[in-house]
Amino acid sequence: MAPLLKMRGMVRTFGALRANDGIDLDVQPGQILGLLGENGSGKSTLMKVLFGMLPPDAGTIIFRGRELSRHHPREAMAAGIAMIHQHFMLIEAMTVVENVMLGWQQAGRVIRTAAIAAQVREASRRFGLHLDPAALVATLPLGRRQRVEILKAILRDAELLILDEPTSNLAPTEIADLLTILRRLRAEGKGIIFITHKLPEVLEICDEVVVLRDGRVSGRAPVAGASRARLAEMMVGRDLARAHKPVPRTPGGVRLSVSDLTGPGFGSLSLDVRGGEILGVAGVDGNGQIELTDTLAGMRRAQAGRIVLDGRDITHAPVAARVQAGLAYIPADRASTALVRGMSVAENLMLRDSGSSPYARGPFLTPVPAATKAQKLMTEYDIRAAGPSAVVMRLSGGNQQKIVVARELDRAPAVLVAHQAAWGLDPGATRFVLDQVIALRDAGAAVVYVSSELEEVLEISDRIAVMAGGQFAGEMPTAEADLKQIGLWMAGRPE
Amino acid sequence: MMAPVSSLPITAFKGRAFRLQLREGLAGRILLAVLLSILCAAALVALSGHNPVEAFGAMAVGAVGSPHQIGAALNRTTPYLLAGSGVALCFRAGIINIGAEGQIAVGGIGATAAALAFPLDAPFAVAASLLSAAAAGAVWAGFATAIHLGRRVHEVLTTLLLNFVALLLVQQVLAGPLGQFGAGFLQSPELPRAAWLWRMPSFGAHSGFLIAVVAAASLSFVLWRTRFGFALRVAGSSRPAAAYAGFSLPRLTWSVMLLAGALAGLAGGIEVLGVHRRLIEGFSLGFGFKAVTVALLGALEPLAIVPASLFVGLLEAGSLSMQRQVGVPSALVVVIEGLTMLFVLAATVRRA
Repeated sequence: MAPLLKMRGMVRTFGALRANDGIDLDVQPGQILGLLGENGSGKSTLMKVLFGMLPPDAGTIIFRGRELSRHHPREAMAAGIAMIHQHFMLIEAMTVVENVMLGWQQAGRVIRTAAIAAQVREASRRFGLHLDPAALVATLPLGRRQRVEILKAILRDAELLILDEPTSNLAPTEIADLLTILRRLRAEGKGIIFITHKLPEVLEICDEVVVLRDGRVSGRAPVAGASRARLAEMMVGRDLARAHKPVPRTPGGVRLSVSDLTGPGFGSLSLDVRGGEILGVAGVDGNGQIELTDTLAGMRRAQAGRIVLDGRDITHAPVAARVQAGLAYIPADRASTALVRGMSVAENLMLRDSGSSPYARGPFLTPVPAATKAQKLMTEYDIRAAGPSAVVMRLSGGNQQKIVVARELDRAPAVLVAHQAAWGLDPGATRFVLDQVIALRDAGAAVVYVSSELEEVLEISDRIAVMAGGQFAGEMPTAEADLKQIGLWMAGRPE
Repeated sequence: MMAPVSSLPITAFKGRAFRLQLREGLAGRILLAVLLSILCAAALVALSGHNPVEAFGAMAVGAVGSPHQIGAALNRTTPYLLAGSGVALCFRAGIINIGAEGQIAVGGIGATAAALAFPLDAPFAVAASLLSAAAAGAVWAGFATAIHLGRRVHEVLTTLLLNFVALLLVQQVLAGPLGQFGAGFLQSPELPRAAWLWRMPSFGAHSGFLIAVVAAASLSFVLWRTRFGFALRVAGSSRPAAAYAGFSLPRLTWSVMLLAGALAGLAGGIEVLGVHRRLIEGFSLGFGFKAVTVALLGALEPLAIVPASLFVGLLEAGSLSMQRQVGVPSALVVVIEGLTMLFVLAATVRRA
């Protein structure tokens, strides 16, 4: 059978960097191909080249027997390629059917809502999408929104779907539903490229897996028969050390005490975290986690309740005072909150400490000691960049997050609040972040680790709480974790 | 994803400020934009039946042909440099302040009122008048800021609309307390000699230009080498990051707006004390609006605004002699300025 997609010798360089260095990739009709690789391995570049967002320097793309060259996303879509981005391209104020019609030539010049809605219903039934054409996108949970994107691809007769980390924002049940949908698409003969970091999903759904490293294909294997360890090894090119299990230890006194905290989107919440203890907060995204962590960090105002850090009431303290008091925060939004992407590594390392030595003396900045300090942190935290003056935007996601971790942990904080600290990172960088957090805990700090990755929370925390509908649905020591109970808590209260 | 580690990271960091200020290619692109706009203007001159070389020659002679003309050009440059640097700082912080015109006007009132109300001796009279000018400009910017922060009206609206109020206020005070009776048009009496700015003999350039250059250099230092400048740059790049870093956005907005207002007010005071020696209706010939052009032309870098404002100052100083000698209307300079603005924006705005 002729492959649906045949990419040969794809090369794309950015300056001296060879992001894609001679990659071959085939997708068969009715095949789900897992595309794996660490951050910065060239996956996104390859997909952008395929979708016509970036022109390749060399290489040929044959799709359904026709060569695609010098194409733009418009031509790629017309040829039958659909890309479903990590961040959905939907207009929230419009309904499902309106979003489907948006920018779709075949929908006609005159708006025929009823006819398209019928098509939406039909496709929705055939693939088990359970979408109501008249529903407002704003009211849909993330999993449903993703289905709208899939529906758009189906109705546009896409033969090849590219899904960029499609499960990273989904609840476990939503993931299961997505995989079912993908299986149906496969049964209809569609080709799917599934970009992910998560090995269990690869093992469950993919037929073949291609691993990229440093712009080249470092491994290619049918999934049937491949073990998880072997795939992980292919991905990072070394054996992944198993996480060092939290050592059972006796935590110290309470360092962070939150009582009846209430804010827009959450509450009322109470929690106590002791020194040398990690409280993991699991839960599906959008259940008040951002609101909670931002409020703890002082970026949002609490409506009621108290936050006490080492005996000091910081409920109404401004952000800078909390940093001084020993509160470190790794926010979920790396791109525009935790980092200033247009600034240098050194400037980002001093972002929250710009008032103190060695970054400043009085009102003046001290660039030379700052650069020395930055260089030291870069070595300690293995931040790979051309130098302290390298612009953060150009670094890979893992290196960007290491800057945040270096900045927040170097202060030797009393309390760390981390939210999605390993989100979107490759296994190597994830390991690094988790190990740093554990080391901080072992040094006696109290940690609140919020993540929608249940595995991560289970691995790192001493105690686990589940957040649903803005409140804690329940809490248990991780050692006695009961997955069924946690799942029930996560499913939470009915919407 | 990075290129090999650079050999001299620390020296690279020391030079960082300037590398970022004139990002590689940015200076070149701005020069190209200026060149293109001049070429377009040359084409317009040719279309109107004149010789472009002759016209630009007359303009150059008019701008730098004699000491007096150089002095006039420097005097013309001064308000652009002062107000443009202040505007640049606001823009760096992500605050779109287009109220310099009104702040200049109010600064003129402040300088005049102080000079007329407190007849002091020479150095004190100038200092008091300039301080009063800066204070008046800051107060005017403060109104815009208070409305912006207090009532959440966009700063573009508050700063822009207060310009017109300020221009009317100049008329009002000239028709009343500060006006000269029987002058025939709206102006104040001539200010006492003690309040005049020193002028360079034979050039006629007043000391305001030096004040402006020192101010621009200080602002560049503030922007790159102080905590306040760092906070401004962070806030301008990302509001959430500024909040996360613990910088108070209202406080930053107040500081940078008052600073820019004081600079624009100072520009107005210098114009009154150095050029006209009295307050005249409409003495600010759109300086405040063009300061925005100048700030962008200087890539929002106070030191680069020195050449940018010189460019505009020389153009305008030379335009009249071009009109006199070649017959090309001096309004052509406005066309060049407009084209430069367009080309600079096209060349420097980052693509999403």
